[in-house]
Amino acid sequence: MTVALSSIREIERELGQLRDASTGPEAAPLLRTSVMTHIAWVPARWAEQARGTLSGLAERHPSRTILLFPCPDEAEDVLEGEVDFRCFVHGGHEKEVCSEVIAIRLCGARAAAPASVVTPLLVSDLPAFLRWRGPLPFGADELDQMVGVVDRLVVDSREWTDVRGDLGRLPALFDRVAVSDISWARTLPWRAGVAELWPDVAEAAVIRVAGPEPEALLLQGWLATRLGRDVQLEHEPAGEVELVAVDGRGARPGRVEPKSPSDLLSDELEVFGRDRVYEEAVRSFSPDPT
Amino acid sequence: MTEVAENPLLAGLRMRRPPDPCALTIFGASGDLTQRKVMPALYALAFRHLLPESFGVVGVSRTEMTVDEFRERMRQAVIEHARDEFRTDVWERLAGGLHYVEGNFGIEGGEDELVAVLNDLDETHGTAGNRVYYLAVPPEAFDDIVTAMGRRRRADGWTRLVVEKPFGYDLASAQELNALLRTYYEEHEIFRIDHYLGKETVQNMLVLRFANGIFEPIWNRQFIDHVQITVAESLGIEGRAGFYEKAGAIRDVVQNHLLQLVALTAMEPPIDFAAESVRNEKVKVLKALHTPGPKHVVRGQYGGGFIEGEEVPGYREEEGVAADSQTETYVAAKLYVDNWRWADTPFYIRTGKRLPRRETTIAIQFKRAPHPPFEVDLESPLRPNVLLIHIQPDEGVSLAIGAKVPGQGLSIRTVHMDFLYGGAFRVGLPEAYERLILDCLLGDATLFTRADEVEEQWAIVDAMVAPWRRDRPHFPNYAAGTWGPGAADELLHRDGRSWRRH
Repeated sequence: MTVALSSIREIERELGQLRDASTGPEAAPLLRTSVMTHIAWVPARWAEQARGTLSGLAERHPSRTILLFPCPDEAEDVLEGEVDFRCFVHGGHEKEVCSEVIAIRLCGARAAAPASVVTPLLVSDLPAFLRWRGPLPFGADELDQMVGVVDRLVVDSREWTDVRGDLGRLPALFDRVAVSDISWARTLPWRAGVAELWPDVAEAAVIRVAGPEPEALLLQGWLATRLGRDVQLEHEPAGEVELVAVDGRGARPGRVEPKSPSDLLSDELEVFGRDRVYEEAVRSFSPDPT
Repeated sequence: MTEVAENPLLAGLRMRRPPDPCALTIFGASGDLTQRKVMPALYALAFRHLLPESFGVVGVSRTEMTVDEFRERMRQAVIEHARDEFRTDVWERLAGGLHYVEGNFGIEGGEDELVAVLNDLDETHGTAGNRVYYLAVPPEAFDDIVTAMGRRRRADGWTRLVVEKPFGYDLASAQELNALLRTYYEEHEIFRIDHYLGKETVQNMLVLRFANGIFEPIWNRQFIDHVQITVAESLGIEGRAGFYEKAGAIRDVVQNHLLQLVALTAMEPPIDFAAESVRNEKVKVLKALHTPGPKHVVRGQYGGGFIEGEEVPGYREEEGVAADSQTETYVAAKLYVDNWRWADTPFYIRTGKRLPRRETTIAIQFKRAPHPPFEVDLESPLRPNVLLIHIQPDEGVSLAIGAKVPGQGLSIRTVHMDFLYGGAFRVGLPEAYERLILDCLLGDATLFTRADEVEEQWAIVDAMVAPWRRDRPHFPNYAAGTWGPGAADELLHRDGRSWRRH
């Protein structure tokens, strides 16, 4: 069920009508369940991946999901929304558990004030997570506003073009919002593997990583900050992390199943506090690490 | 914690500590429990990479079969009963360490062959001398197995003993069993399974109480009128006449599951969630528990009736049951917890077979609003608030509150605010046995029953059944498909209360 809507009031009214329609005298009432508000900022080139990830995510985290599709370069100032219920049969019973998906195109000048669009739609008293697709526009209004209304910012540094530079700029956000990086999550089994090399790696000088640049840098930053010493990176580009060695000692990755993008994001949505270890690793790339 | 402090690389790693390498021996490996619960649970753990990398399983039973036949039987059990899809790679990882020893312990000397297989696993699979012995056998077999394996304990590695219920038949036999177990094993090495404690929703009871500031201040005699705990089954005895004729509902369910639910509902906040802290608090409740007298315990036995439209026989017509059986298939009782928090607050418990539906719930009924400033319809007075904890099925919590019916006037109706576990956390809930087996491998005994808990539970049951020896009840006294005998309703009506409506 999809209807084009042009204001927040219309979106809210449509949500109410969808809920009412689902509780007719003949039908078992739908259970609207939310454990958070999940917001995704999705520039046009990421739209397809974002919708794919969402389809695997909604079932695990029944939430109000707000997809924001910015189109600032369009001439007309437009807010165009659609609302939908994603429903899942609960445990083979008649009851269905539903969560709401709100997709909003913000075009022209409307794209510059996303927080004013999102704020009235946040579910009260529940955490709000923002998944920011693509590179972070440090200093831009839209990022600044959105960071101000959410509890956690989830990024994937594999989507960045200047990874080292953006890692250096990221700590500026740490005191405003908790940050998760899906690439950091991908390094977890390797960090566990390196940890098993302790205490042989206590005096480590070089970490060699065959894998994507973000994971390589994050592993380097992690090892250096954990050990409190300089650690050099030898990096060989690869599609996934294939090898991590510290001073020539190969690490065996901890045993975890390969995870889909939905699962990786799901895992991050289960974390509520700040990840100090991650923050310290990232700060090592900042011009002013303090 | 010491390890984290020593190894800075472990800080912030969100990975559960893997269990130590070990070999798990299942006594009673050809039995129903192994096939329906234990092996599917091991497969689920293997599926999620939660078993130790160096791990072996040795099945022991009197059934004649080869290792290959045992593996095939376990494979079928996994296909039939596991909650996850069957994956050949996962199965092969598990089956690679699967062995079988045929033996009748204490009679034919199978123990030496078992020890040889386990020692071999240490060599081939790196199980490091660590042993888990899982007794999925009737209690009559405990003595031989415990003694045989106890005498062959290794000096290196740790040993854990998993014991399935029933833990005795009464207080005296439970004490005897505990004494036997402690001849060879320390209490911290003994893991008595009550699978109810492995259920997510039972554990959620602790979270609900101790992680939510709004409940604990009102969780006492001042605000709670009474508590009702129901463990209802629609099934009959499912061919277990041999066991059930001896046990009855009181030993099958009340002595363990029901009293554990009472303890979790009534216990004081533990100082932490370490095994001893939680179990200390449960024992205090069990020590304070009593039933006010024989009139406050009701027993019943089902006659023929209908379940889901299908005619079912009475208990005495079930195969293997004596035609004049006096075994109870239903028990209801009023209990009191004699402490400051609960004095004079009744806990009504009931369990039965062939009740209209399968349901385990804990209902906390609060006292009525002292003075409602509304015109109250005498025909339908304001109902008290009820916090309902659904253990199974439809796991979750609901709160019954009064709400205004929209429109003119001020009509009030009770509505339920529901939290469905499966609605908020859309991940498959792990089976109780998965959690318990993993905890045992990790050496965490929090969700297992300690010897003194078991003995306190038996002391309560012994007190309840003592008057039963003097009289012969008129059985059957309730029809299959109904909510038990009329005397159970009377039990509450005498107090001006009634069982929760279903």
